[in-house]
Amino acid sequence: MGSFSRRFITDFDWLLLGMVLLVCALGVMQISSVEPSPGMWRKQLMTVLVMGLPILFVTTLIDYHKIVNAAPVLYGIGIILLIAVLLFGRVVNGNKSWLYLGPLSGQPSEIAKIFTILMLTRFLADVRKRPLDVRTIIIACGLWAVPAVLVFLENDTGSTLSYMSFLAALLLIGGIGWRWVAAGAVGLVLVVALAGFWLSHLDSVKYKDNYKIQRILAVYFPDKAQERFSYQNKQAEIAVGSGGIVGKGLGKGSQGTLGFLPEVQTDFIFAALGEEMGFLGTVFALVLYALIITRLIGIARSARDRAGLLLVTGYAALLLCHVAVSMGMVLRLLPIIGIPLPLMSYGGSSLLATFFALGLALSVRQRRFVN
Amino acid sequence: MKAIQPQRGMDSFEDIRQTGLRLEALRVLAIVICLVLGIRLSWLQVLNHENYAVQAEQNRVRVLAIPAPRGKIFDRKGRLLVTSRGSWNIVLSREKGQRLEDKIDLIVENLGVDREWLTKRFEAARYEPKYEYIVVKELATPGDVAWVDAHRIEHPELMAMEAPQRVYVHGKLAAHALGYVGEVSKKELQDPNSPFSEARGFKLGDIIGKSGFERYYNDILMGKDGERRVVVDSRGQIKSELSRVEPIPGRDVYLTLDYDVQLAAEEQGDTMPTGRGALAFMDPNNGEIFAMVSRPAFDPNAFSQRAKTQEGREEITEYYQDEDKPLYNRVIQAAMAPGSTWKLFTTVAALNEGVITPENSRVQDGSIQLGSYFMTSMSHLGFPDVVTAIARSCDGYYYRLGLKMGGERFEKWVHIFRFGEKTGVDLPNERAGRPPTPSEKKQFWEAVARNMKKKREEAGQKWTERDAREYEFQSRWTDYDMAASAFGQGRNETTPIQLLRYVGALANGGHMVTPHLLLKVPAVERDGVMLPELRYEDRNKFTIPMSPEIHEIVKKGMWNAVNGDGTAGAARVEGFDVCGKTGTAQVASKARAGANTKDNAWFISFAPRDKPEICSVILTENAGFGGRNSAPRAKVIYEGYYRRTRNLPMEVATRQ
Repeated sequence: MGSFSRRFITDFDWLLLGMVLLVCALGVMQISSVEPSPGMWRKQLMTVLVMGLPILFVTTLIDYHKIVNAAPVLYGIGIILLIAVLLFGRVVNGNKSWLYLGPLSGQPSEIAKIFTILMLTRFLADVRKRPLDVRTIIIACGLWAVPAVLVFLENDTGSTLSYMSFLAALLLIGGIGWRWVAAGAVGLVLVVALAGFWLSHLDSVKYKDNYKIQRILAVYFPDKAQERFSYQNKQAEIAVGSGGIVGKGLGKGSQGTLGFLPEVQTDFIFAALGEEMGFLGTVFALVLYALIITRLIGIARSARDRAGLLLVTGYAALLLCHVAVSMGMVLRLLPIIGIPLPLMSYGGSSLLATFFALGLALSVRQRRFVN
Repeated sequence: MKAIQPQRGMDSFEDIRQTGLRLEALRVLAIVICLVLGIRLSWLQVLNHENYAVQAEQNRVRVLAIPAPRGKIFDRKGRLLVTSRGSWNIVLSREKGQRLEDKIDLIVENLGVDREWLTKRFEAARYEPKYEYIVVKELATPGDVAWVDAHRIEHPELMAMEAPQRVYVHGKLAAHALGYVGEVSKKELQDPNSPFSEARGFKLGDIIGKSGFERYYNDILMGKDGERRVVVDSRGQIKSELSRVEPIPGRDVYLTLDYDVQLAAEEQGDTMPTGRGALAFMDPNNGEIFAMVSRPAFDPNAFSQRAKTQEGREEITEYYQDEDKPLYNRVIQAAMAPGSTWKLFTTVAALNEGVITPENSRVQDGSIQLGSYFMTSMSHLGFPDVVTAIARSCDGYYYRLGLKMGGERFEKWVHIFRFGEKTGVDLPNERAGRPPTPSEKKQFWEAVARNMKKKREEAGQKWTERDAREYEFQSRWTDYDMAASAFGQGRNETTPIQLLRYVGALANGGHMVTPHLLLKVPAVERDGVMLPELRYEDRNKFTIPMSPEIHEIVKKGMWNAVNGDGTAGAARVEGFDVCGKTGTAQVASKARAGANTKDNAWFISFAPRDKPEICSVILTENAGFGGRNSAPRAKVIYEGYYRRTRNLPMEVATRQ
């Protein structure tokens, strides 16, 4: 463990922390404004201050190599938790992703994402073949697939999607061959094109109760979608649009406070922000996220070694995915997928996982200079 | 796997350029994604803000009507006839993309609603605007309302809403005069000429008068709904009120109807042998209608309260399908031959024209051969004077009187009496009838000829000179027409209300007053402004020339008919000096041939003879003689009226 020295303080990335805390502040403000149940914002604030920040600082102090070396253990814990969720979990909003252990409850898939990034980092850091050979790719995918499949079985589409983001980023930065990259890109385009073609010719009545298909239709083929599935998209769109440039003011948004937005404190927090703080508020938040992500990429670039590079890149990709999907869904660019907006959405698991990951990134930054 | 160690920079095999490139690509991707999100944000929040602002407002604001109570209706002495009862509808709000089908079980089980009806209701609601509440139960019981209130937390989509119901206190009593209320129809709203069009501020769901007095005076009775603009949450539950406009209640109204007379007339209506007929009583001095009865009758509560229930709809369908037409107000809509009640008209006309004079009014009675027609007369009294001719209802006398007068003079007097024109009674859908005049006959046959000619031309047939002559011949006013019209048959079609006005003028010496139902609308304060009392104003009245001498002859004839040796002895009331005239009209149309084709029994009368207080017309359809079937009904009602107004002990009603 590094010492809490003068150098630590001067070297610490206060700017990044400042931006992170600003985003948290926006979230707490917004939660207090829509307040689906009393005291929620206070709980969120306490989570940030009492648990989030200490986790961040402690993680920063620890040499990330030690944590990466412990990855197999953490990875194992993550998988056990995910299996426990499948066995004993509670279904919330159609997803079986909540685990209740006495007074403690949480969504293990959030922290399992970080553990999986650590595990992949641990594995790929040692690989010295360039480009990556097939065996390495298969092992990496296998390591990734165990938690990803478990999460998929929880019916948590959003999280499954976010698992894909860091796998792709880690393989890319880890040194996968250009051919693989090209094949992946072509494959992605093909899948999207085929899916689009299939959906546009779909007899949507036949799938009127398939909520996944209906949610996709609601965004890209609204005429075909059942009304009850496009309701959330529509209300979120109205909320954001009605905010205008300066917004309706904190606590004055009807869409958020009168229950038109579902899950307003978690998945739809950005819609409430758009309604009450307007274009200025949303762009402010968006710019903060953009700066945080690009700063993380900068940290990755300056990492002293391959482990640091992979670790931070993996998390940056995950964060980017969360932000893009969560905002995209609120803005009716993407289908409704239950995915929180990191740092803003209400919820301890996501917050703590995020602070832990940010701590890892800061730890990489602290140790960027070879001395 | 061996533990990784902190390394001094990247390994030599690491392609730093390659890694930097890929990191750069990732950064560009992040920026592109953020740019896309930013563009979308400006599209939603800057460019299309107004559109969404309106949608958000529509989301949260509802306009709820506060129903204005409709005015009560009293009889002339302040006895309540029609009122409104507060009642509740249970409504469902439909937001949150919920499926209506999911609510069926909840509503059926807890509110006792018919499943099939509700399914149909939801089916219909698919085509209604989403922000409108769906009425899932009308006339909710207090238990239903309590249940909905108690389950506000679990089922905030259900709400109880006030919806007053019109109550016709005495059911069928005076149903045709009062009319009934119901929801304004789409047709009425869209027709710019309708009194209930959208242009006049009416809207779907408004309760308006559909017939009778309720319709004619809808403006006075209806009032104006208030409204609340409220903020609702996503489940339709009211969170707060933005503004409130109080409803303006409709005004109470007093009718000219006298409940006692009406009740007595209703009882007489109930005993009519064919179940069809009409009775109307009026003050001959000012046209105030005391009673108006048409048989068969209907229950207006079926329309105002039960229209949305299965039984109510069946009841209403039955009314529409019944061959005897219970919804039809015979007093103002049954236009038929008035029979001998018309002879008084011929009398007044002939005396005015000098065809006969008070001094010499003798005309031969008895049957008569007119061309190919042999017109029988029941009476053969030689050469009776006019008073006897009235009292004994001498048909032969009037055949000849008519022939003496001639079509031209006869027509002039039909128009002076304004037969064939509406009386202007304050009810909708009055019929004008048909005047028995030469020009009417001519017009009628000319129209027939025109149609015939057109039909022939369409069929390629010729319209010959001979055809034209044939129809011209048909259109001539013949002696038969003249004789028949003079005693109330022929082409004559007159409504009971026309006869009522007419007998009123016979009673009061020639003043044709307009029969009406509105007595007064009491003064009332609305919004701090005193609205003055309204009274009926007779703009339609006119006077027919009737000298006191002629009046005396008419009265004497009618008095003798009842109190002398005349045809209407059954209407005699000791001490009340009833004057009357019977009519036994042959049924021109044999459409309902069979046992029912008996004559229509008429009786018109007034009393007392010299200071008339009340006059009446009674029609008992297809019952036979007027003297036997209608006059006794007048007697019972007059008897009661006489005793009530003179404070005499009421006898046990002797009903025939």
